[in-house]
Amino acid sequence: MKNAMLAIIKKDFRGVTSNKNQFSAMLIVPLVLTILLPSVFVFLIHFVPEDPDIQTLVELLPPSAREGNLELTVVGLILNFILPAFFLMIPIMTASIMAASSFVGEKERHTLETLLYCPLSVKQIFRAKVLASFLLSMMVSLISFCAMLFVLELELFFLMGSLLLPGLNWLAVLLLVSPAISLIAVTLIVRKSAKAQTMEESQQSAVFLVIPVLLLVAGQFTGILLLNIWILLVLGLICALLAWLLLRKCMARFTYEMLLT
Amino acid sequence: MNAVALENLSKTYAGGKQAVKHISLTLKPGEVFGFLGPNGAGKTTTVKLLNGMLTPSEGNCRVLDMDPAQEPEKVHALSGVLTEHAQMYDGLTGMQNLTFYAAVFGIPAGEGKERARELLRRLELTEATDQKLSAYSTGMRQRLSLARALIHRPRVLFLDEPTSGLDPESAQNVNRLIRELAQKEGVTIFLCTHQLRYAQEICTRYGLIEEGCLLAEGTLEELRGRIPAGTRLLIRAARMPEGLPLQHTGETQYETAISQDEEIPVLVRRIVAGGGDIYQVSVKKPSLEDIYFTLTAKRKEAAK
Repeated sequence: MKNAMLAIIKKDFRGVTSNKNQFSAMLIVPLVLTILLPSVFVFLIHFVPEDPDIQTLVELLPPSAREGNLELTVVGLILNFILPAFFLMIPIMTASIMAASSFVGEKERHTLETLLYCPLSVKQIFRAKVLASFLLSMMVSLISFCAMLFVLELELFFLMGSLLLPGLNWLAVLLLVSPAISLIAVTLIVRKSAKAQTMEESQQSAVFLVIPVLLLVAGQFTGILLLNIWILLVLGLICALLAWLLLRKCMARFTYEMLLT
Repeated sequence: MNAVALENLSKTYAGGKQAVKHISLTLKPGEVFGFLGPNGAGKTTTVKLLNGMLTPSEGNCRVLDMDPAQEPEKVHALSGVLTEHAQMYDGLTGMQNLTFYAAVFGIPAGEGKERARELLRRLELTEATDQKLSAYSTGMRQRLSLARALIHRPRVLFLDEPTSGLDPESAQNVNRLIRELAQKEGVTIFLCTHQLRYAQEICTRYGLIEEGCLLAEGTLEELRGRIPAGTRLLIRAARMPEGLPLQHTGETQYETAISQDEEIPVLVRRIVAGGGDIYQVSVKKPSLEDIYFTLTAKRKEAAK
């Protein structure tokens, strides 16, 4: 049945990438968060260093860090402490769009019933669809990260004549927090999909996930909370546990009848 | 082994609506069974129960000796379903849709493509093979759905209004395919429709359903036997002798109910002996429609 599940995953991928509206919605947020936003920061730091916001950031730095190339240090601070918080929006948003299209979208278009008549259990269909949303979300996150790094390094090289390596924070974000948060988003959408009649309705269920991420961003800017690898690891583990629990609970309650009525 | 068996099957929805009420019937392999009734009679609910999409509130059902409520995946592997609400993907072409479902049914890619091509040919969709489904007409969609239901060569086929949206020529083509499947390949067909004339053309046995209740089941002859004064003898004659058990329905038209064909020569002899001139004698057997309406009227009367 692995081939059957693979066929569903491939079809779901094709479904969302061939829909211009969904595909462009999925691209805009990563483009803004990983290309536009970091570039704005780099240009501001380089060309308008006396900007009050930049000054606030500099003040957050310990005195020892203010020595040397201040521009690079501030960019490093943004890259390793501010951008990871913004970055978490990407898996939430991608997973939400994909999961909504994959579950409620199929229900809306009356194709879910056809799929249910196939020799796969509801759990297998559920698993294939969750996996499709999760994989796409991870792919978009990874590509976004690579694109961000490429553009950022290019800008740093030409403007400041130096390169900057991302810190360990990114490892925790990419390998733990982002996958866990993306799974939570998928599960929330899927839970809602049994009752929801439209994609928009189901997407609302993942919207409140954005709130803690926004608080995280605000916390990072004000310096109340400076994310470090340990905080991120703990956050990631909590999210992963939550995702696992939600997924298990959600998977157990799905039946054909519930999906069709 | 019965291909399909329903035993005291009932379904009451969460809202309290009882869609299927204590239905019992069996289908032999290779039978084309017409499950007939108006919209909302409980036909689609029965198909969903037989495919494990719904769980029975009472009784049980079996498809090829498997309980769909317990083993839906196994039932799905051996049955094909065509219903109004089981649509396919608009963004994929006819071929892509069929090969996708072939893959989901575990058919290797090459073979899936081969089967898809053959089904598209049989259903006269070859020219639309690489067209996206969004460009298909209603009739073409319906035929592609039938191809999808057949891609894994099912042993039982559930067809819910299979000719809806089809032009007469396509409908005839679909009927031919259904007959071939039953006669040559031994596929059991469970066909739901509200078009009684259409069912009479293609089915070998019938079940008549109204408001979730099975009114009657059997072959056409068996069903005719269920209604009083089923077969009528129509005579066109002049100078009809008096005292014969005939109803005068037109200037030279007479009519009477008969229960067996042997009554015809007796009556004809009596007319001729009495000096009548017979121009035409014909027998009018009740159609499925006549039977259905007689039985529903009877049920309503009984309910009063």
